[in-house]
Amino acid sequence: MLEAIARVIVWLGLGEVLTRLGLVPVPGAVIGLVLLYLDLLWRQTLTDDLGRLADGMLALFGLLFVPAGVGVVAHADVLRAEFVPILAAILGGTVVTLLATIMSLGLVRSLARRRKQMSASSLGKADVRA
Amino acid sequence: MPDPHAWASLPEQPILDVGITVLAFLAAVRLARWSGNNPFLNPTLIAIVLVVIVLNVTGITYTTYMRGAAFIQFLLAPTVVLLAVPLYRQTTLIRASGGLIAMALLVGLPTGVLSAVGIAWALGASKITLLSLAPKSVTTGIAVGISEAIGGVPALTAVLVISTGITGAIAGPAIQRWLRVEDDRVTGLAIGIAGHGIGTARALQISEVAGAFAGLGMSLNGVLTGVLLPLAMRGL
Repeated sequence: MLEAIARVIVWLGLGEVLTRLGLVPVPGAVIGLVLLYLDLLWRQTLTDDLGRLADGMLALFGLLFVPAGVGVVAHADVLRAEFVPILAAILGGTVVTLLATIMSLGLVRSLARRRKQMSASSLGKADVRA
Repeated sequence: MPDPHAWASLPEQPILDVGITVLAFLAAVRLARWSGNNPFLNPTLIAIVLVVIVLNVTGITYTTYMRGAAFIQFLLAPTVVLLAVPLYRQTTLIRASGGLIAMALLVGLPTGVLSAVGIAWALGASKITLLSLAPKSVTTGIAVGISEAIGGVPALTAVLVISTGITGAIAGPAIQRWLRVEDDRVTGLAIGIAGHGIGTARALQISEVAGAFAGLGMSLNGVLTGVLLPLAMRGL
């Protein structure tokens, strides 16, 4: 388990250093994620310990956002003053984003399916597209 | 003879703030489970409300609370790194889904930024609120950095990001059911792009595929927004 924790901390640390150097305008944790992923692809193995560490920590993912969310108290005045636009932007914007993404992917999938059907029933049936 | 003032040392240690947070989350998870995982009883949301109530009742200030709660917040970064594990487990599926992933980002990233800023602008929000709102769909760590870079209020952005994540975690599975989405890759990508880490936490409960694609959507959306939004703002 110690080896797994060390691996995560080392990649995270390297990510933080790369961010500080200003080479990449991305937070250290995301660079760390990419580095650990490349590390796993390179080794082609996932140790039991690393798998267990990931499952354990990711089960607590929701807990880790609580302190930042409590910051709502510190910004109560701005939030109260612009409550309606902020609430509408968050609720409306998020629902619109979900809908737009899901619907565009539905389109991609049905196009891919049609293309597959077309090549399956192949030979001279170009009019299937209509 | 036990020290009668032993309890008085608690507020000086992180144990009190960590304890409040952990117990609030435990209560929130119990409540969510008891309700049959009613989506509106999102554990993160309930825990935040409980902690805010406790702080109000006890008179503990946010600054004091954060001194201890920072220990919990610190774990966020290594946990984001660990998202590489579900991604690795789904590598074959990810390799086969390049077109889907590209399309999700092409649509989801600009929609996430423009819909929020557009709605708030139409309803007369101030410029600083608009700038703080722009990176709202991006995971907290990145969003705060973007907000700072484009002239928003980073701490306000953090709160807006959390609210967005909770909305995504609640609305995502509801929309999945409503539109009868059967492909967990689609649900995962949408929830990850619209609702970052909190959405990903919810997607992990749907299936490992949904969780991995949510993590993927979240990371790619975060990285790309982190690069593109500050550049786009400089161009304006």
